[in-house]
Amino acid sequence: MGFGAESSAGPQWGMVIDLAKCVGCDSCTVACKVENRTPPGVSYNVVLEEEVGTFPNVRHVNIPRPCMQCEQPPCVSVCPVSATYKREDGIVVIDADRCIGCRYCIAACPYGARSFDFGDSYQDEMQGANAVTAPDYGKAHGVRDDRSSPIGTVRKCTFCAHRLKRGEEPACVETCIGDARYFGDIADPQSLVSLLNASPRAFHLKEELGTRPRVTYLR
Amino acid sequence: MTTTQLMSDPTKTVELGRPRPRLPRVLWYAVLVVFILGGGIAFYFRMTQGLAVTNLTTTTPWGAWVAFYIFFVGLSAGAFLLSSLVYVFGMYQFERIGRAALLSAIVSMGVALAFIGVDLGRIERSALPMVYFHWSSPLSWEVRFYIIYIILLSVELAIAVRLHKGLSRSAVRAHQWLRILGTIGIPLAIFGVHGGTGTIFAVLKARGMWFGGLFPVIFIVSAMVSGTALLAVIYYAQNRGSGRRPDAGLMKGLATVLAGVLCVDLGLMFYEFVVPLLAFQPHDGDVIRVITLGPMWWSFWIIQLLLGMLIPVALLLSSRLRAKPGVVAAAAALVVIGIVGVRFNIVVPPLIPGVIEGLPAGYYVPTLVEWALSFGLIAGGAAAYSLAAELMPIHDNPDEPLPIQNAPDQDTTREAKAPELIKETSA
Repeated sequence: MGFGAESSAGPQWGMVIDLAKCVGCDSCTVACKVENRTPPGVSYNVVLEEEVGTFPNVRHVNIPRPCMQCEQPPCVSVCPVSATYKREDGIVVIDADRCIGCRYCIAACPYGARSFDFGDSYQDEMQGANAVTAPDYGKAHGVRDDRSSPIGTVRKCTFCAHRLKRGEEPACVETCIGDARYFGDIADPQSLVSLLNASPRAFHLKEELGTRPRVTYLR
Repeated sequence: MTTTQLMSDPTKTVELGRPRPRLPRVLWYAVLVVFILGGGIAFYFRMTQGLAVTNLTTTTPWGAWVAFYIFFVGLSAGAFLLSSLVYVFGMYQFERIGRAALLSAIVSMGVALAFIGVDLGRIERSALPMVYFHWSSPLSWEVRFYIIYIILLSVELAIAVRLHKGLSRSAVRAHQWLRILGTIGIPLAIFGVHGGTGTIFAVLKARGMWFGGLFPVIFIVSAMVSGTALLAVIYYAQNRGSGRRPDAGLMKGLATVLAGVLCVDLGLMFYEFVVPLLAFQPHDGDVIRVITLGPMWWSFWIIQLLLGMLIPVALLLSSRLRAKPGVVAAAAALVVIGIVGVRFNIVVPPLIPGVIEGLPAGYYVPTLVEWALSFGLIAGGAAAYSLAAELMPIHDNPDEPLPIQNAPDQDTTREAKAPELIKETSA
C-alpha cells in the first residue's frame, strides 16, 4: 500500500503506533504538553479510551491520537487564507501569524486533532508558565501574552517539527514506556515504519474518508 | 419595455407625505439604542478577552455568532431574490417592496459580515481572506462573493431610488440596468452567496448532517423562506408604525410566495432527515439524536418545526386567513423566529458528538456576552435600515398609485392585471 511520497527528495515523516504495546498510560500526552507547552484546553496528542463489549467480556482499547498528518488533509483544503499547509516532508503545519481564527479547519478535521487557543494559561498555577513558548511550526513566539499569536488561532501537532530539525524524535515517540510508537521516513522502503506499514495488522483511522493518514496503527 | 416608461411617469413621484413623528418611532429608536449600547459593552469584553468570553470550545468551535451569520446571509439572499421578482421578472404587484427588499438585503449582508467578523479569533486579520486566496476553500470564495454582492446591490438600490424619485435621465435605461443587475444578481445570490454558504458546511465530511449535495439547496430554499417572511414583517410593521393601512393584495401575494417556499422547505427537511435515518448512517444518526432528543430538543420541535413551519403553513394555506394582513404578518414573524432555530440547529448539533469515539461530546449554550453582542448587532442592523429608510424613499405610501396603474398599453401582460387584483382584495 503506497504512501504518496510524491514530491520532494527529502524524508517523508510517518508514524506507526502498535496498539498491542500501548498500555494507556497517557505519558505521550504529558510529554507532548510539556514539549510543546500547550495551554489549558489544547492537547496535540490524546489517548482515546474505549471499552468494547459487555461485562464480563470486556476489552479496553487505547488509541493514542496525534495528528494523522493526512496525505489529503481536509483541514488544509478548507482554510480560507492558506494559513495551514502541508510541508514538503508531509507535516501539516499552521502559520500562526496568518491564521484568522475562523476555526473552519477544526470543523473539518475528522480526527479532532485541532484545537483553538482561547488564551488560557497555566500562569496562575505555575510561575513563569508564560515565559517560554515552544517554537511551534518552526517559529518562536516568545512570551505568551494577551495579544500575540498563537492566541486566537488554531493549534495542532507538528510531529514535533522543531525536534525533527535537531535530529530528535517527536516527544511522544521518545517517551513511550512500551515503545509502542515508531517514527521514520516512509519514503525509504527499508525503514522500520515502511516495513511495519506493510504489516497485515496495519490500519488507519476512518480509512473510508480517503484522507490517507500518515499515522498507521497496528491492531 | 413599456412598463419602464411608466416608471418615469411623473404621477408616480408623488411626495410621500412623511408620516408625523409619533411616539412608536421614538420608542423604536430608543429600544434600538439600548440594545446597541448593550452590544457595545459586550464588544468591549470580546475585544479585551478574546473568544474566552464565549462558551465555545475546541469540540464545539462554532456557535451563536456563526448561526446568526448564516441567518443574516439567508435573509439577505432571500430578500434580494424577492426583489428580483420585481426588477427581473416584472411581477409589479411586489413593486411596493422592491426597494425595501434591496435595502434589507444590503443591511442583512452587512450584519452577517459583522457577525462573522466578531467570531474570528484574530479579528484584526479579517481582511486577510481578501489578500490570500485558496481555491479549494468555500469560505475563501464566499468572502469575495459577499463583497461583489454588496456592491452590486448598492448600485441597484441607488438606481431604483433615483428612478423612484424621478431623477433618472432615462427611465428606460434605468429600468434596463435594474434588470441587468438583477439578472446578474440572481446566480450570484443563489450560487455565490447562499448556496455557497451552504457549501461551507456541505464539504465537511467529518461531521454528520452537513456533508452532501442537498445541503446548499436547503440553504437557498430556507433563504427564500426567511427573506420573504422578513419583507412581509417589515412592510406590515412600517405601515402600521406610520399609521397607514398595509396593502392587503401585496400581503396576500407575499403570503402565497411564503406558503409555497415553506412547503418546499418542509419537503426538503423531510428528505434531509429520512434518508440518513433509513441508511442508518452513524454520524448523521448521532446528530439527529442531538437535534430531536438532546437538551435543546425544544428548539427543533417547538421553535423550528411548530412555530416556524407548521403553524405558519397552516395559517398561510387558508385563503381566508391569507387575505388578512395582520395574520400574514404574524405568520411571517413566526417564520423569521423559526429560522433562527433552524440556523442554530444547522450549526451547533453537528459539533456536539465527539468527532471520533473516545473524544468527549460538547455542550454549548451561548453566554450573556454572546447574546448581548448578537442583539447589539441585530439592533445595529435595524437602526441602519431605519435610518436609511428615513433618508431615502424606501417605502411607498399605499395610497400612492402604483406606476403600473397608469399603463397605457401594458394590459396584455399578466403583470398588468396585478393592480386590479390588489384593488379587488383591498376593497
